[in-house]
Amino acid sequence: MFKVLQKQLIKGFITFFIAVSITFLILRLMPGDPTTMLIDPRMTEAARQRLLVDFGLDKSLIAQYFLYLKQLFCGNLGVSFVFRTPVSEILRERLPWTLALMGITQIITMSIGIPLGVMAAYKRGKLVDQIINALSILGMSIFIPWLGIMLLFLFGYILPIFPIGGGYTPGLSGWEYFLDVGMHFILPVLTLTIIYLANYILFTRASMVDVLNEDYIRTARSKGMEEKRVIWNHGARNAMISTVTMAGMLFGRMVGGAVLTETVYAYPGVGRMIYDAVGQQDFPLLQGSFIVLALSVIVMNIVADLICAYLNPRMKME
Amino acid sequence: MNKFRSYQQGKWLRIGKSFFEHRLGVIGLIGVIVVFLVAIFAPYIAESVSGYGEVKDILNSPSLEHIFGTDALGLDLFSQVIWGTRISLQVGFLVVLIAALIGIPIGLFSGYYGGWVSTLGMGLTNVFLTLPLLPLMIIAAAVLGSNINNIALIIGLFSWPQIARITRSAAAEVTGMQYIEAAKSLGIRANRIIFHHVLVNASAPILVNLTIVVATAIISESALSFLGLGDPLTWSWGKILHNAHRSGAFISSWWFSLFPSLAITFFVVSFNFLGMGMREALNPRLRE
Repeated sequence: MFKVLQKQLIKGFITFFIAVSITFLILRLMPGDPTTMLIDPRMTEAARQRLLVDFGLDKSLIAQYFLYLKQLFCGNLGVSFVFRTPVSEILRERLPWTLALMGITQIITMSIGIPLGVMAAYKRGKLVDQIINALSILGMSIFIPWLGIMLLFLFGYILPIFPIGGGYTPGLSGWEYFLDVGMHFILPVLTLTIIYLANYILFTRASMVDVLNEDYIRTARSKGMEEKRVIWNHGARNAMISTVTMAGMLFGRMVGGAVLTETVYAYPGVGRMIYDAVGQQDFPLLQGSFIVLALSVIVMNIVADLICAYLNPRMKME
Repeated sequence: MNKFRSYQQGKWLRIGKSFFEHRLGVIGLIGVIVVFLVAIFAPYIAESVSGYGEVKDILNSPSLEHIFGTDALGLDLFSQVIWGTRISLQVGFLVVLIAALIGIPIGLFSGYYGGWVSTLGMGLTNVFLTLPLLPLMIIAAAVLGSNINNIALIIGLFSWPQIARITRSAAAEVTGMQYIEAAKSLGIRANRIIFHHVLVNASAPILVNLTIVVATAIISESALSFLGLGDPLTWSWGKILHNAHRSGAFISSWWFSLFPSLAITFFVVSFNFLGMGMREALNPRLRE
């Protein structure tokens, strides 16, 4: 187990390193130098030069790169162009909202998706399987903002059960605040669940179909084991190993969905902030959001791989 | 040689037959054909739109004159959705081209050589499969500027990992075959074996995956356009939805968002169904 952790940590570190390097490269592709955006055009040349020195922009690209890495590892993500406050402070407020949204969606989609996928695989080719397949693909093909707006229209406007957007009602505290946040939570989670459920269903189905062809399933059946136990204890357990690995990767894709969902619901997370930052060309904020989201996704992947190692007896032996 | 050819033909005939037995795959194929027909005949179906409409036409609900209604500028939505099909196919084609040019070689080399080549190639692939790509694409689009070819380029540059992974597993399987060993012992150059023999024999699963890359590309393009990073000069479906969202008419004028959303879903579902049908037909294990 320790060996697995060590390997995952190295992998995670390399992934993070590549992520931050790519953002650096992309942002340096920008036409003109950053001061043209940051600085008032009426500023004198001398003042502009001083700012360039202050931000380290007078140095060579490679020197800038190492400066950037050094700052990053000290937790400094720069200063937002628009808010003029450190990006890390803004993100500290926003990130928990997004992580909660994605974490809960992940748990719900997994606990519904895996059993449905196992069932589809078991009944493959039958009507149940075809319906599950068709609905899954339909679900993952809906455009998230539209789904979000329709749910908002149905359950916020026509049947006013849930609040129309936002993350909380200002001025509440204690138990009321908690309930209120929960109510604001339901529609965004439902939106993401509808979209990402299919991934678990289809993926579990595919690996379960493979597993059901394995010799140990035939062996279990020929021992006269109850069919239910063959499917769940022997089949699903093995199919889940590859599903959990995919769960880690799904986190990365779900970030995209979270950006769109939060945009529609005006949710106070990182996603909505990215949408606002795009409109305001706030590059430090965009860069910081990506880095923080990438880091979260990497951590989730490490967790997923550890769970995998736990589930997989072959890996435990090593 | 002749015998081999007829065996090959028989194989494709069987796969084709198996494909047409799969209902979803056939539905997908029909959908994809419809998409292509609409894109090709767009000028005959609807006039292209530009500029501003008339004030009396602002946000009209669907009528005989404007069957999808009109937008906040008074422009016909039916024309926008029809012409948006061309943009989607253009983006889909460019993305697949770029993703294939990067992903297929990485997958082939990894699958053929194995060892450290594979470790490196698949390591890089996994890094890109792990990272949250939409925020990265957002930054790139914000930096490079939103012209439709830039958007396609950006999506393509981040879409190759899927293809690389599928190509590697297909190539690794083919590399283990005896005819590749025979080719090697005949002294054929490695590059020729890889790009000729391995690629041709591994092409089926790769092709299947390309349809799914097209579907994903359209979702990404729509997302970028919806977030305000679309090409200001073209009408993509995501762009129409961006206009709807920005004008605050998303709900009050339901037709504004409904038809472009249905178009996106139709396009994506068709390509996904087609891909799924082809995969089921090709995978003997998934077949009954």
